[in-house]
Amino acid sequence: MTTRDLVLIALFTAIIVVLGLIPPVTLGFIPVPITAQSMGVMLAGCIIGAKRGALAYVLLVLLVAIGLPVLAGGRGGLAIIQGPTGGFVIGWIVATYVTGLIAERLVKEGQSEVRQFAGFFIASIVGGIGVLYAIGMPWVTAVTGTPLSAVATGSLAFIPGDLVKAVIATLAARAVLAGYPLLHARA
Amino acid sequence: MLNGLNIEGTTLLHRMSVRAKLAILLVCGLALYAVSSLYILIPAFVIAAAIYFTTGLAFREAISRLKPILFTIMILLIATAYLTSIHEAAESFFRLMAIVLFAGAVTATTATGAFIDEITLLLQPLDRLGLVRAADVGLAFGLVLRFVPDIFNHYQSIKEAHRARGLKVRPLTILAPLIILTLKDADTIAMAIDARGFRRPREKPH
Repeated sequence: MTTRDLVLIALFTAIIVVLGLIPPVTLGFIPVPITAQSMGVMLAGCIIGAKRGALAYVLLVLLVAIGLPVLAGGRGGLAIIQGPTGGFVIGWIVATYVTGLIAERLVKEGQSEVRQFAGFFIASIVGGIGVLYAIGMPWVTAVTGTPLSAVATGSLAFIPGDLVKAVIATLAARAVLAGYPLLHARA
Repeated sequence: MLNGLNIEGTTLLHRMSVRAKLAILLVCGLALYAVSSLYILIPAFVIAAAIYFTTGLAFREAISRLKPILFTIMILLIATAYLTSIHEAAESFFRLMAIVLFAGAVTATTATGAFIDEITLLLQPLDRLGLVRAADVGLAFGLVLRFVPDIFNHYQSIKEAHRARGLKVRPLTILAPLIILTLKDADTIAMAIDARGFRRPREKPH
């Protein structure tokens, strides 16, 4: 790994931490307020790619584990990882990797804008929603004994918000790709 | 801006090595999942609570740290009690709270620096295999802590730029400039690190 990759990873982790400091926004038709930090998985995968994105999240999870209040609302500490939603925290790493993998395959520079949007959107949905819930929900069931079907039903409330996040992440990732392309750049 | 969640103190837990604390947390965590008797889970919960509340953490702070996680646990366990049985929900409650309280106690009694040293030590075997550079972890931590305030300032100035133009501050219009503004410094920072020789090239094995 080059020094530049290391710096990109650390800077992206720092961006994710800062996104947690931005006050959450409520959209009229969605019950759960949207924190900018929860878009981090989609953004990291789509902007710095699978390997660096996943490592940025490894770094974030380590920051949580060592007790820094890096998550939205000043949360952090080992209790977050050991608690019922710990699967989502660990799942971020895998979800970012998958998002990045799909984005790297589907999105190429010099493609039409529409195809790039489509590529980032598919990557965000599959990685940032599909993979994340596939890891997070069984973990909740394993830890609390709540039946998986109930966890899945409860999670439905978050899906509209997640789709909005995927749209925002897609637009932002495409803007960054146009302004400062990093997805395919291997130093 | 990013102060650790640990507090100074001289309790037994403060004096214990990081590795011992993490090992106990891991073993207790796994062991409690093997147990389903309330006669063991309730005492475990009481002991963990006693440890957590005697770490020197102010009572109000100790409670406020628990609130978000307690909220999630309660919602899930009310659903569990309703769908399966109250007994099972009670088991999960005492088990989870025991683990969460003990984890909170470890967090409250371990300094950030001690954790980073321990992670670097634990990575040494992988370092010798040439898979990772253990020293990079410390460097990466340092970079994050160094740049969070800078990036937050970027965010503030982008927000002000929005206001000056009468635009609404939206994640959509903030994210792209914030990310580009931050990442385009990567080359300069990387050059500065290399120029100072912080990452020496790996010595070739003879």
